[in-house]
Amino acid sequence: MTKHVISSALAAGALGMFVLWAQAPAQLTAPAGGSQNQNKAKKKKGPPEGPTPKLADGHVDLSGVWNGGGPVGDLAQGMPKGEAIPLTPLGLKVMQSRQSKDDPEANCLPTGIPRIAPYPWRIVQTPTHIFFLFEGNIHSFRQIFIDGRKHVADPDPTWYGDSIGSWDGDTMVVDTLGFNDKFWFDFRAHPHTEQLHTIERYTRLNLGQMSVETTIIDPAYYSKPFTVKFMATLRPGEELMEYICQENQQDAQHLQGGADAPSRP
Amino acid sequence: MKVKLVVLTAALGLLAALPVLAHHSFAAEYDSKQPVELKGKVTQVDWTNPHARFYVDVVDASGNVTNWNLELASPNVLKRNGWTRTSLKVGDEITVQGSRAKDGATMANARTVVLADGKKVFAGSAETGQ
Repeated sequence: MTKHVISSALAAGALGMFVLWAQAPAQLTAPAGGSQNQNKAKKKKGPPEGPTPKLADGHVDLSGVWNGGGPVGDLAQGMPKGEAIPLTPLGLKVMQSRQSKDDPEANCLPTGIPRIAPYPWRIVQTPTHIFFLFEGNIHSFRQIFIDGRKHVADPDPTWYGDSIGSWDGDTMVVDTLGFNDKFWFDFRAHPHTEQLHTIERYTRLNLGQMSVETTIIDPAYYSKPFTVKFMATLRPGEELMEYICQENQQDAQHLQGGADAPSRP
Repeated sequence: MKVKLVVLTAALGLLAALPVLAHHSFAAEYDSKQPVELKGKVTQVDWTNPHARFYVDVVDASGNVTNWNLELASPNVLKRNGWTRTSLKVGDEITVQGSRAKDGATMANARTVVLADGKKVFAGSAETGQ
């Protein structure tokens, strides 16, 4: 338990640091001076402030370039304080059998849902579709159908599943089925099966902040549905860059040990 | 308004500039208990994803040359932090500090890079608790 608290705290701190770092725009003159080298607390700059944008039809506009909103290292960071992820014995066994070098993300494969690499991602919203464009870890996209259609009857298992979305007031609710069992929820290798069913709730609280709650339902590995919550922060003025992970991936073959290993000895 | 770099806390020992590794756990690949300091000449610079890399010829006391593979953050991150693809050049004489690969390869995650003129060039993927 202590190990998880420490690693979760460090990971949360690192992710928090990244989110704060990411507020700074690209014109930092890092090459010119040494002042950024120092670990001094400087003026904090929060997410941009303002009311939640709305479209002409009254629905919330989720558009923009965002940071965060999902786990990277540990899905448990999104759990309510004091609550553990309800792994079944089989789920725990699968998790503990996995080796870091086999993480699909390390091998330039998709992260599925709800894992998000700490690179910006853009929401493009049309009347019939929502697209999430991911800069990295892999340069890919998700599509969510918001035109009222139902799930495909017998979907081929895929990395991002078959997603249908609808409004619940000001919250976009995305229901996804049809996953393959290949992606990992985090570095720690929390697993899932092809029966995985996710329900995401996107609530843009104000201009600059969006709450992302994901309910995970997969009875073989998790004894009951559970919900993780992450915050996404708007990155005004940011543009996505290209990121082709496969062009020079050299790390996977050097990764050592079990994926669920402690982060520090 | 001048924008300042934001640092969460020094107490965690996290670097001011560069964020967590995105596609693999730092601790699975590198050992923060095996710090390395390398001095040598840059032989190659790869401005590529998922990590920018540079290679350094390090000459030991007997004159043997070992070529080391140093890993930086993604160029996307480096660019957003003010680096360019010419910040480091083939032929530069540099000193690198970082953490060695756990499997013993002549490979390390670069934390700092200092040019011969003393100019410190940001480098590395921040060591995290993952």
